[in-house]
Amino acid sequence: MNNKQIIAAVLALPLALSSAFAQEAQSPTVKISGFGTGALTWTNTNDAEFGRPNQASGAKKSPRTGVDSNLGLQADVGVNSWLSFTGQGLVRRDAEDDFGAELMLAFAKARINDEISVRVGRTGLPAFMISDYRNVGYAHTFLRPPGEMYSQVPFDKLDGIDATWQRSFGDTTVTGQLAYGRSEGRLSGGVLKAEGKDVLALNVVAEHGPFTARFGRVDAKVSVKHSAGLTTLVGGLRNAGAALRLPQLTAMADQLDPNEKDASFTSLGLAMDWNNIVAQSEFAKRKTDTYVNDTTSWYVMGGYRYKKFLPYVIHGKLSIDGYPANVVPAGVPALAALRAGAASLPYTGIGQGEQSTTSLGVRWDFHSSAALKVQFDRVKPGVGSGLLLNAQPGFQRDVTVGAVAVDFVF
Amino acid sequence: MNKLISAIAAAAALAASVPALAEVVVVVNPKAAESAMTKDQVAQFFLGKSSAMTPVDQSEDSPQRAEFYKKVTDKDASQAKALWAKLVFTGKATMPKEVGNSAAVKAAVAANPKAIGYMDKASVDASVKVVYTAP
Repeated sequence: MNNKQIIAAVLALPLALSSAFAQEAQSPTVKISGFGTGALTWTNTNDAEFGRPNQASGAKKSPRTGVDSNLGLQADVGVNSWLSFTGQGLVRRDAEDDFGAELMLAFAKARINDEISVRVGRTGLPAFMISDYRNVGYAHTFLRPPGEMYSQVPFDKLDGIDATWQRSFGDTTVTGQLAYGRSEGRLSGGVLKAEGKDVLALNVVAEHGPFTARFGRVDAKVSVKHSAGLTTLVGGLRNAGAALRLPQLTAMADQLDPNEKDASFTSLGLAMDWNNIVAQSEFAKRKTDTYVNDTTSWYVMGGYRYKKFLPYVIHGKLSIDGYPANVVPAGVPALAALRAGAASLPYTGIGQGEQSTTSLGVRWDFHSSAALKVQFDRVKPGVGSGLLLNAQPGFQRDVTVGAVAVDFVF
Repeated sequence: MNKLISAIAAAAALAASVPALAEVVVVVNPKAAESAMTKDQVAQFFLGKSSAMTPVDQSEDSPQRAEFYKKVTDKDASQAKALWAKLVFTGKATMPKEVGNSAAVKAAVAANPKAIGYMDKASVDASVKVVYTAP
């Protein structure tokens, strides 16, 4: 069954259930709700494209709807006081070039008591502070989550089980979430695929009045599949290692080969909404045992709410902490291509490279269920084209991105 | 002079009637253990931070709703909605049940020992218990 069929089935389920139970006195409660964003995004260059993490292509000079627009539909079915079902479908443009439908949530939730609940099925992977509602524009101040950080984990869904525990200590509410399962993320073009096995995620949030603090940690065994360039490079290193009796090349091939390698993502978040001052910041470290860069990523956002208007600034930065050493000997013509290939690896592919962005924007709550946002970003790629997509050879300059969006919930 | 007196009287009457209209109280079922709550304790149920009690909301056009959210949760309607959007679309919670007016809140709270609602003080009777009065 493909995703679209699953979504159709999930969305039809509450309707079927509600009619099946219509005659009963204690009929289950069914709630249909939705969210969406209609947006136009453009840049000041045609030599590279700006997209969200995971998108295969992005915006150039002519405005496009695909970068920041989406539509989500959710059904919540409460069966009784302790059991409920939730299904959510999302239409957006992701790894493929067209708008496609995905099943984002599909789980059964059992409320064990007032403090503990357990969910089984597909949930959001809580890697970031706003990871599991990052597609709900209405819930955020900014127009899109800063790509410098949100590009660093290619998984947004988790198939498995999680337990959430929530308790108040005086006026402080603490929520702990522990999740285990597997994840899959399609990358650029829809051919490339990232797989996470034994994904273990911890997410702890403390809220005290207007202040929120968060710690998150995700560990997984990660594989990247169907990357032709990577397969060629790893194969070339193995052949050269065997032919030239250079065991360091074989060892390097083993390290670069992204096959069930340990990876972790550790993050801290702070948020505040106090006396009309709005602030949010996250700081994260990614570590992997393969070619995928070890990185530090962070952003800081500050804003001030004036009546229905909330102007804000954001600065985000992604920097490389380390990657496997390139031990291909220099000055050997037969190995030059392998050496160059390995050297380009830290700056090639989804979420690789370095970049910083400064953004200015405003959110206007013009309606009780809708907000208008305008945001301008100045993107500074590090080596090469940073996180920009489909750049012309030799592209290396700052790019200005503009976007107008209407976020709504219903 | 008479005009002035009647104007003052009218202004006084208006001034007296405004707080009376705006006085919002938080109510629970008489069987609930709580006899009084702090503002933050009340707010946590209406901002989805605790599921120990079941919040009952008033409809969006109700003046008591705006008053309640501003005074008790320190949020305006849009901020509260954005907070709920986070909880709803991550599947962590569902939006509070909405009812039309104070009388409906009273009925819903009287019928459910775990319910918590807010309503016009003037409509309170013995079927519910007041645990907090908005300043």
